[in-house]
Amino acid sequence: MKNEFTKAIQRMTLLAAPLLLATAASAQLRLDPADPDDRMRITIKTNCSLINGEPVVYWWEGNMYSRVQGERDRLLFKVQGMNIRQCEHWIDAVRGVCYRTISREVLFYIDPQTGQVARTWKNPWTGQEVEVLQVANDPPGRSESCARDAQGNTTVNTSPLNSQGGWVLSGGGAARLFYTNPMGGEFQEYVGGTYHAMEFLTSASPEDDVLDGGADGLRDRVISWGRVSQWLPWMEMGSRPGNVFFHTAGLRLDSWDEMPDLMKNEIRANFPIYQEAPPLDYTRARETSWTVAKDHIDRRRAEQTRE
Amino acid sequence: MKTMTSGLRAMKKFATALVFSLGIGLSQAADRLDPSDPVDALRLSQKMQCSLTHGEQVLYWWQGGAYSRTPGERDRHLFNVQGMNIRHCSNHDHPERGPGFRIVSREVLLYLDPETNEVLHSWNNPWTAEEVEVLHVANDPVNMREPRYAYGADGEAMRFDATFMKGRVWTNGEAPLFYENPLAGDYQRYVGGTYHATEMINMYAYEDDLLDPQIANIEDQTLSWVRISQWLPWMKMGDRPGMMIFTTVGKRIADIEDLTEPLRSEIRNTYPIYLAPPPLDDTRPNETSWTYFRKVMESRRQTQ
Repeated sequence: MKNEFTKAIQRMTLLAAPLLLATAASAQLRLDPADPDDRMRITIKTNCSLINGEPVVYWWEGNMYSRVQGERDRLLFKVQGMNIRQCEHWIDAVRGVCYRTISREVLFYIDPQTGQVARTWKNPWTGQEVEVLQVANDPPGRSESCARDAQGNTTVNTSPLNSQGGWVLSGGGAARLFYTNPMGGEFQEYVGGTYHAMEFLTSASPEDDVLDGGADGLRDRVISWGRVSQWLPWMEMGSRPGNVFFHTAGLRLDSWDEMPDLMKNEIRANFPIYQEAPPLDYTRARETSWTVAKDHIDRRRAEQTRE
Repeated sequence: MKTMTSGLRAMKKFATALVFSLGIGLSQAADRLDPSDPVDALRLSQKMQCSLTHGEQVLYWWQGGAYSRTPGERDRHLFNVQGMNIRHCSNHDHPERGPGFRIVSREVLLYLDPETNEVLHSWNNPWTAEEVEVLHVANDPVNMREPRYAYGADGEAMRFDATFMKGRVWTNGEAPLFYENPLAGDYQRYVGGTYHATEMINMYAYEDDLLDPQIANIEDQTLSWVRISQWLPWMKMGDRPGMMIFTTVGKRIADIEDLTEPLRSEIRNTYPIYLAPPPLDDTRPNETSWTYFRKVMESRRQTQ
C-alpha cells in the first residue's frame, strides 16, 4: 500500500519538471498549419517520419463483405493489413519542404471460422473452390511533393485542420477510382469491364501531437479504412453483379514487431521482403491487386502451356 | 500541452491509486475494469457508448461525405453530411441478470451541398434530372428496446469485444440489415423492395480511461461511421441500380456549442427537440429514415 502511494507521488514529482520545460520550448516548436512548409512537415510526420529513412508501420484489421442485390450482405473474410514505408525530406530553395515516400503493403484474407489465413475459398455463388490470392503490393504507389511549385506558388492545402475538442480528425473524402482495368480488354469503354472502386480513410490524433514541431512522427494516430470495389479477380465471379466492401480499424505502430503473430508469421513465411520498406530510389512499377492477379494468372497459364 | 494532457492522465491515475489505497484496500483486480468479467464487460460497453452515471447526457458528432455507386461510372460525391446523436442511459439492476443499462437517444443527419456545405433543401437528381425535396434524417427516438444486462435472458455472460493495442482500444460494430421495407408492399419476397443496408462503426478510446472505474464519462473518444445502403427514398431513384456510401469521422463532444455549423444552428432553429435526449422511460418504437419518410408523406397526403 505504501509502495503504491510512494510510486504515485514520484510520478507527480517527475511530472512537474517536464511540464515547465515543455512550456518554454513548445511555443517556438509549434507548427503552423497555415504555413506551407509547416503544413508539409505536418503531412510528413503524420504519414511518415521527419527522420529520413525511419521505417513507419501502420496495421489494421476488420471484415470483408459481399453486397449482392436481393440478399443480406455476407461476411466473407476477416482481414488484417499492414503498410511499411519510409520517407526522405529535404528543403528546396524555391519549392520549400519536399518529401518522397515509398512503401510495401499486404492484406491477408482470414477464414472467419478458423481465424487462419485462407488458402482456398469455396465460392458460395458458383460452388467452385478457388485459390485465395493475398494482397501483396510492392510498391502500392509512391509519391513526391513539395510545399510549392517551381514558380514558388503554394501547392499544399493550407486551410485550417479539422479540429474538434483538442483532436484533429481527418476523413470524409474518398478516392473514387474508375480507370482502364489492367485485366480487361481494349474496348472497355464500349463493352464494360472498367476498374471501379472507392477507398476512404479517416483518422484521429491529439491536436497537440499533430502540431508538436519537436516530435519526428505522429505516434498517436488511429485510423479507419474502407473500400468498396468490384469482385476480386481471384473470386472468379466474372461479370456477375455485386460488390465487395472492407471495413477496418487500426493504428500507427512504433515498430513492425508490435503486430499480432498472425501477421508476423505469415509475412516471415510467405512474404519476407515485407519486413522492410523498399529503398528510397526504388523503381519497381506500382502494383495493385489487379496487376498482381494478372501476373499470377499469366504465370500459371505459361506453366500449363509448357506442360 | 501534450505534457499537460499526459499530466492530467497521470493525475487521474494518481487519484484512483489514492482512493484504492485509502479505501477499499489494495486489490489489483479492482484497480481496473476486467474485460473478461461479465459485470465489468457490461460497464465497458456502457462507457464506450454512454456515461456510467444514470441520466448523464452524452453527445456524439460526426461529419463526412456521401457518395453514389452505380455500375459503369465513377462514383459521385453527392453530399457532405453532418450528424449528431444526443443520448443518456438509465442504469438497471436485475435479480438474476445483474446490472444493466439502456440507451435512449435522438439523432439528426443533414445533407449539405458538397461544394458550399450549405444545408440542402432541394436537389437536382443527375440521373433523372428531376428536382426533388431533400428530407434530412431526424430520428426520434433511436433507443435500445430493452436494457442490456451482464447476463443475457439465456444466462449467457456479456463479452466485451474490442481490440487493445498500444494503450488504445477500439470496438468494431457492423450490422448487415435486410428486412421488410416499411415503404414497400406486402409481397417483397416475391417482387423485391426489401430494405438492404450495412451500418459500420468504430469507436476509439484510451485503455487507461476506459478501464478506470473512477471515470464515468470518457472525454477522449473518437469514431468513424460508415454506411452502405440503397438509394435514399427522397432521391426518387425507384428500381435504378446503385447504392449510397457514407464515410464520416467524429467524436464524443461536451456540448451543443461544440457542434459544427450549419448543424448547430439548424438544430436550434429547425429541430429544437433534438437539443435534449428523450426521457429515460421512453417506450416509443424507433424511427428510421424510411419510417420517417413514410410519416411525412402520409401526413402530406392527408393535408392535400
